[in-house]
Amino acid sequence: MKNTLLGLLLCAALVTGFAGAANAEVGVTDTEIHIGQWSPQTGPAAPWGAVARGTDAYFKWINANGGIHGRKLIHHYFDDAYNPAKTIAGVKQLQEQTGMFAWASGVGTACGLAVKDYLMENRIPWVGPSSGSRHWVDPPQKYLFNVYPLYLGDAQLLTEYAITEMGKKKIAVVYQEDDYGKQGLEGARYMLKKHDMELAEAVPVAITDTDMRPHAMRLRQAEADTVLLFVTPGHVARVLGTAKAMKYEPQWMSTTTCGDFPLMIAITKGLYEGVITASFGMMDPTGNVGEVENINNPKHELMAKYKKEVFEQFAAEDERWGYTFTAGIGFVEPLVEAIRRAGRDLTREKVVAELEKMENFQGIMGRINYGPFDPQDPHCRIGQQEIFLQQCTADGASKILTEWETTKFIPKSE
Amino acid sequence: MIDFLQMIISGIAVGSSYALMALGMVLIYKASEVPNFVQGEMALLPVFIAYMIIHSYGQSVFAAFFGALAFAMLLGCLLEFIVVRRAKNPNILGLIIITIGLEMVLLGFVSWKFGADQRVMPFPISSYSSVMFGGVYISILDLLTLVAALVIMTGLFFFFRFSKLGVAMKATQQNETAARLMGIRTNRVKMITWGISATVGTVAGLLLAPVFMEPYMMWDPMLKGFAAAVIGGMTSLPGAVFGAYIVGIVEHLFGGYVSMEYKAVVAFAVIVLVLCVKPSGLFARHYVKKV
Repeated sequence: MKNTLLGLLLCAALVTGFAGAANAEVGVTDTEIHIGQWSPQTGPAAPWGAVARGTDAYFKWINANGGIHGRKLIHHYFDDAYNPAKTIAGVKQLQEQTGMFAWASGVGTACGLAVKDYLMENRIPWVGPSSGSRHWVDPPQKYLFNVYPLYLGDAQLLTEYAITEMGKKKIAVVYQEDDYGKQGLEGARYMLKKHDMELAEAVPVAITDTDMRPHAMRLRQAEADTVLLFVTPGHVARVLGTAKAMKYEPQWMSTTTCGDFPLMIAITKGLYEGVITASFGMMDPTGNVGEVENINNPKHELMAKYKKEVFEQFAAEDERWGYTFTAGIGFVEPLVEAIRRAGRDLTREKVVAELEKMENFQGIMGRINYGPFDPQDPHCRIGQQEIFLQQCTADGASKILTEWETTKFIPKSE
Repeated sequence: MIDFLQMIISGIAVGSSYALMALGMVLIYKASEVPNFVQGEMALLPVFIAYMIIHSYGQSVFAAFFGALAFAMLLGCLLEFIVVRRAKNPNILGLIIITIGLEMVLLGFVSWKFGADQRVMPFPISSYSSVMFGGVYISILDLLTLVAALVIMTGLFFFFRFSKLGVAMKATQQNETAARLMGIRTNRVKMITWGISATVGTVAGLLLAPVFMEPYMMWDPMLKGFAAAVIGGMTSLPGAVFGAYIVGIVEHLFGGYVSMEYKAVVAFAVIVLVLCVKPSGLFARHYVKKV
């Protein structure tokens, strides 16, 4: 009888234990929430590795201030060297061996595409891919929430500004031969068509190209008065230098990717002065058009706070406070906010539900909006659609040129 | 016509940096008969050392460049002495793998020590200054690179033809055993060859760095330099320079008139074409080793 009772108690304990385990969310314990991220710390895209280091410092700051509902954010980021094969291997290893509650940011369109299906099939939330590719929202995925404004939008606003505000007539595009560049080209063509204009020239750049003479020559031959650059910061520096030596000086414009003015002014030896780029935040253009701001001395209250409390206390000694580092904070703010709103009883479904309720959420970037999942409507996952334009000054500061402008989403078929 | 001339001039300009890399590769191939895939990184590390000398120690550009060239000489010698020479009965494949391994080690070291941030090297001449001939332009930095390539090629030609060490290097390459029997210290000759090769490559790196610096900056010039050396026949110094200018000019003409998308790979199509017509390269003297 005694043995039967003990056996029953044991069975009950096991059943209760398993039931508890079945209900517990992967990557969440009483004291920790595990969040994964990939990022190139080595290889040709290593300068973008600062995104993950920005996220890391931000999580450390949150933990130092008590965490979220008594839990610390445990950040697992690994170096994928911008190699999709390494991204897949690293994501699977961390997910299946350690167990991530969610994935944050992640640099690179190709790297993100390599793991998108895996994360979506396993219903794992992924918030704020670190690239403005249309792939994240078209078609929309229930567990994937975009933050980065799409490159299509950058191209639209830059082209519109060149035509209507600057009276430019011959617009050319230099584009990287991948999604980033091609979507920029598509956005520029879309806006030119609206104005019944043709593209003056479209010049492709291979990621391995180091000699920009043929590219600059094509632009000069086309007599383009404005050139949109959808390439890496390094290629921008080379194109500007080569064109300057050719005595060809159009109005240069570029994307959010090349919006780190202190860096750009340094690597172009001052040639970046006057260049106009799109920006997704780090300063507030509302009511500040015509003002000059410097990211190293931010006027934006939250940016100033992050610089003092996140960067100065938790970043590595040789880290640089800049656009890329702070983007690493901006891309994950919605995820952190959703975890906070989900409360102590944390599940993935609750976080998704809280993200879907997000309306005009604003951290250091523009306003972010999501909606209930609709497989036909990319807007339910697009996040930030507003950007503004800024112009680089001689000392690497930003002159704000426009208010926040909402850009139009262009579906694949249009 | 102006456009055509501009493409030729631009091709020669970019070909000059390929030529310096190709010369470095040919030197090592002549001495060790190994295609040296660490050529780019043997230049990369000294370039970053020069940057460090300027920024961390406040020295002048000239002092930094002199220091970088001296360091390159030492680095080349050390790589041969510490790594390549230690290989037991190496075949060509083994030596190639060794150079690829060294390439990864040096690249990793530069990335770790100096970080991945992009930067530019201070230089006495602005990389944006240029001269115009009619409608054709060439930057002053390109002119300097062109002069450097031609001077180094001529210097090396006379060095191999008339200096004792140069003749010893040629002898070592042609028949190592006979050279040793004649009293030539072949190991030392090979070590010095690696040093000279690294120094020549570093000249290319120092002339590229004022435009742009980052850990992967030497990858493309190294590949194009390799292509040029193969076209020239791997053992001919004038052949390497000629091959480099062919690669540069073809790239520019192809980019200008055919397709910008495939400009980056056209150099390798040229290699295939040349090797189909003349398997030993354009300038190589074919000789048969007696066994």
